[in-house]
Amino acid sequence: MSALLSSKLSTVGRSLIRSFGNDLSGAKAPHETMTNLSYQYLFLQQQRTFIQMRTRLKVVDNSGAKRVMCIQALKGRRGARLGDTIIASVKEAQPHGKVKKGDVVYGVVVRAAMQRSRCDGSEIRFDDNAVVLVNKQGEPIGTRIYGPVPHELRKKKHVKILTLAEHIA
Amino acid sequence: MRLEKCWFCSSTVYPGHGIQFVRNDAKIFRFCRSKCHKNFKMKRNPRKVKWTKAYRRLHGKDMTQDSTFEFERRRNRPERYDRNVTEMTLKAIKKIDKIRVDREVRHHKMRMKGKKAFEQQAAIKELENSIDLVKAPVALQQDSQFTLAKIKVKVSQSQPEGERMEE
Repeated sequence: MSALLSSKLSTVGRSLIRSFGNDLSGAKAPHETMTNLSYQYLFLQQQRTFIQMRTRLKVVDNSGAKRVMCIQALKGRRGARLGDTIIASVKEAQPHGKVKKGDVVYGVVVRAAMQRSRCDGSEIRFDDNAVVLVNKQGEPIGTRIYGPVPHELRKKKHVKILTLAEHIA
Repeated sequence: MRLEKCWFCSSTVYPGHGIQFVRNDAKIFRFCRSKCHKNFKMKRNPRKVKWTKAYRRLHGKDMTQDSTFEFERRRNRPERYDRNVTEMTLKAIKKIDKIRVDREVRHHKMRMKGKKAFEQQAAIKELENSIDLVKAPVALQQDSQFTLAKIKVKVSQSQPEGERMEE
């Protein structure tokens, strides 16, 4: 529920909710705990967390699906991050595509609003949560990928996705 | 390894610091610390935020055009390793830095040039206008100089030794 709310808000732009959730409790990571912030912070900032059950993601390939809802993060107790695979259910699809509404598919997270550390110590984060649908072997179902993708995918051996991508961040 | 510039404040981002934000149009914003990142999220324009380099350059507080900046251009072509070149480059970096700092100091001096004279003028004006704060009008009639009256105060010399030490 809170994940849905936060994803809806992220589409409204950078409209901000007072939050200072802590990442300790995984599955129920609270986004909107009201705490006393210092009054210098006139703005209110969002705390981005993992991609967990019920998280809606955008699909950025031409497999036919538009929106997809995560039903399981394959690795990670608290949820999936940038570069991980998830199992998802298609919520919205284009009329004539390779997948249709209600299908259970695998996907690779290519953009995540939560920052992920890199081996050189810096962190990277994207603007939204996006996924590329793959089959069980890890090969993408679609033939084109839109938007930037991170090069964390190379380590995870998703080389096909990298070749299809138009920009590697 | 590359030293990047923070998008907001234009300071160098060293490896291991900062956050990179990739927008969906594939534009990458690098920030040196969370202060800059948070200001960016607030949609502040760096040209209007006083402590950034963008503001300072725009308002003439810092040097804008200088030949020393040419050396810091971003080069995408990797150079073949040559020991002599590396040595020379390291020496050159030090020298160019010194020159740049000297020029910046000079620029600052030029900027502050008329300050003393300006402050003097302002002080004279203030004295003329508000002399009655420190000098009674009667005294002004007798002695129409803009100086403060000399007051004589008697100071007692005999003080016990203990009190003087306890200062």
